[in-house]
This record gives sequence, C-alpha cells and structure tokens, in this order.
Amino acid sequence: MSAMDIKGPGYRVHFDEATSTIHFEGSLRLGTAEYDPITNLLNAVVERKPSLINLRMTDLVFLNSSGINTLYKFAIGLRKLGNIEVHVASSSSIAWQSKSLPNLRKFLPAITITVT
Amino acid sequence: MTACIGDFREFTHQGGARVTLVFFPADFQVRWSQCSATADFFAEYFAAVPACKPADDDARAEFIGTVSYVVNELVENAVKFSIGERVEVTVGLDGDELVAAVANQILATTVELLSTTFDELVAGDPQELLFARVEMNAENPEAGGSGLGFLTMMSDYGAKIGWRFTPVADNPNNVLLETMARLEVKKP
Repeated sequence: MSAMDIKGPGYRVHFDEATSTIHFEGSLRLGTAEYDPITNLLNAVVERKPSLINLRMTDLVFLNSSGINTLYKFAIGLRKLGNIEVHVASSSSIAWQSKSLPNLRKFLPAITITVT
Repeated sequence: MTACIGDFREFTHQGGARVTLVFFPADFQVRWSQCSATADFFAEYFAAVPACKPADDDARAEFIGTVSYVVNELVENAVKFSIGERVEVTVGLDGDELVAAVANQILATTVELLSTTFDELVAGDPQELLFARVEMNAENPEAGGSGLGFLTMMSDYGAKIGWRFTPVADNPNNVLLETMARLEVKKP
C-alpha cells in the first residue's frame, strides 16, 4: 500500500496518473478519522495540478455518510480552486450513487457526471 | 419523562415480518465492519420478504442499497454513542413502511444537546440543511463527526426520522434513546 493506493478490508482507492483517474472500489464504511488517508490521497492528486481529475465510482458499492462528507468536501475544495475539470463516472444500479452523487453539482457546479 | 422528536411512532403490530438483533457491547465492543455486516443482513433478509420483494434486478439493487445505507447509519450511531449494556436493532414492516429502529442508552447529560440537534434537523428542508452542513464541514476540517447521517437519510432516501428519550428506571444517569427511520415500500 502506498499513499496513492489505499487498501483496506473490502475496499481500495487508488490513483492512476496516466489517465488522471481516482478509482474507488468495494465498500467504504469507515469511521470519520479513518478517511484521512483517502483525503490525503485526494489532496495529493490536486497538488500535482492536473487539468482534469476523473473519479471512477462504478465499482464502489457502498459509501457511508462519513465517506459522502469526504467526497463533498473534496468537491468544495476543487470549486474554490476553480481550475481543475472534474468528471465522475457513476452507476445507476448503485443506490447511494443515484441518490447522493447528484448533490455534487451543488458543491461543484462545473462537474460532469456520467451515469451508466 | 418520555419525549419524542420528529416522526416517532410505535409499530402498529399489524403483522408482517420483523427481526430484532441485540448487541451486548459491554461484553464485546461492536466494530465498524460489524455495523456494515448487520446492515447487509437486514437488507438481504427483507429483500426476500414478499411484501418488499423487488420486482426486478434494478429494484432489488435499489432496495438493498437503501435499506443497507439506512440501517448502517443507524447502527453506526447507536454503537458510537451507546453507554449501556445493550444496543437493539429492529427492522420490520409496518403497514406500507419498512421501519428500522435502534435503541441504546446515552448519558442523561447529553439529552439537551441532542434534543436541540434533532429539533433543528426536523425544522427545516432536509436538502437545504444538508447543503449548509456540508459547506460548514468544509470550513471546519477538524470537526469531529460529519453530521450527515440523518440528513442524507431524510434528503436523499426520503426517510422519515423520529427519536424518543425514555428515562432508565434503575439508573438516573442514563436515558434510553430510540431512533426510528421509516421508508416507504414500493409495491412490486
């Protein structure tokens, strides 16, 4: 496990620099403080100053409210920076994504979300 | 004295499936992954109950995702704040609703603060409260909990939430907190 590849029981979050994609996989139901390594990964990606960040959510089956908070806060941080394009790949068959991901547009109006 | 906030209603005992699971955290502290396993169990169990049974694969995925999210949030809260010997989790059908309820003891000294928090949650538009809370969290990165559990249940999942505080007969320092989330069951 490295700072850009976070693995735990039943989940993995990793960054693929070639495609500027952060992959979220499995089921993320951690305590608030346990999201720190993931927040650090997200911030480290931003520090590389990419013009585009892809968030691939299609393999993330569950995300609890602490994780949703982590994701929304990341979106607000990107809104404040204002110079990074963000694209989210989501799945219509995963309940939390159809219910909670559309809120990302509130926090980062320029975001694009693709639903498959 | 017993006090209710929000949409707290007893089960009406009209029949229908109901399951209760009791944890004894004094003997073994429930772990976060076990909250998740508990939520998944209830979701899978009720997906097979005829009154809930989803019509197709998409409906089943939505049902399981919804029930699992709501139960997981309730159980995480109950386990996190429990100071007593039992945490009780009940999920059951009540008319056209699937009800998820948790019961745990809390310190009597926290009741006032919790009551204020719950009053605020049910006083406004859940989505507006959610958006405001997330912006506030972003401004205060060191803040403890996200406070989004109930707001996401209400705003994103349409859950009706209620709470009830009841004194504990043999321990004036503790209060029993029951938290209930009601979800509409879509007819197959």
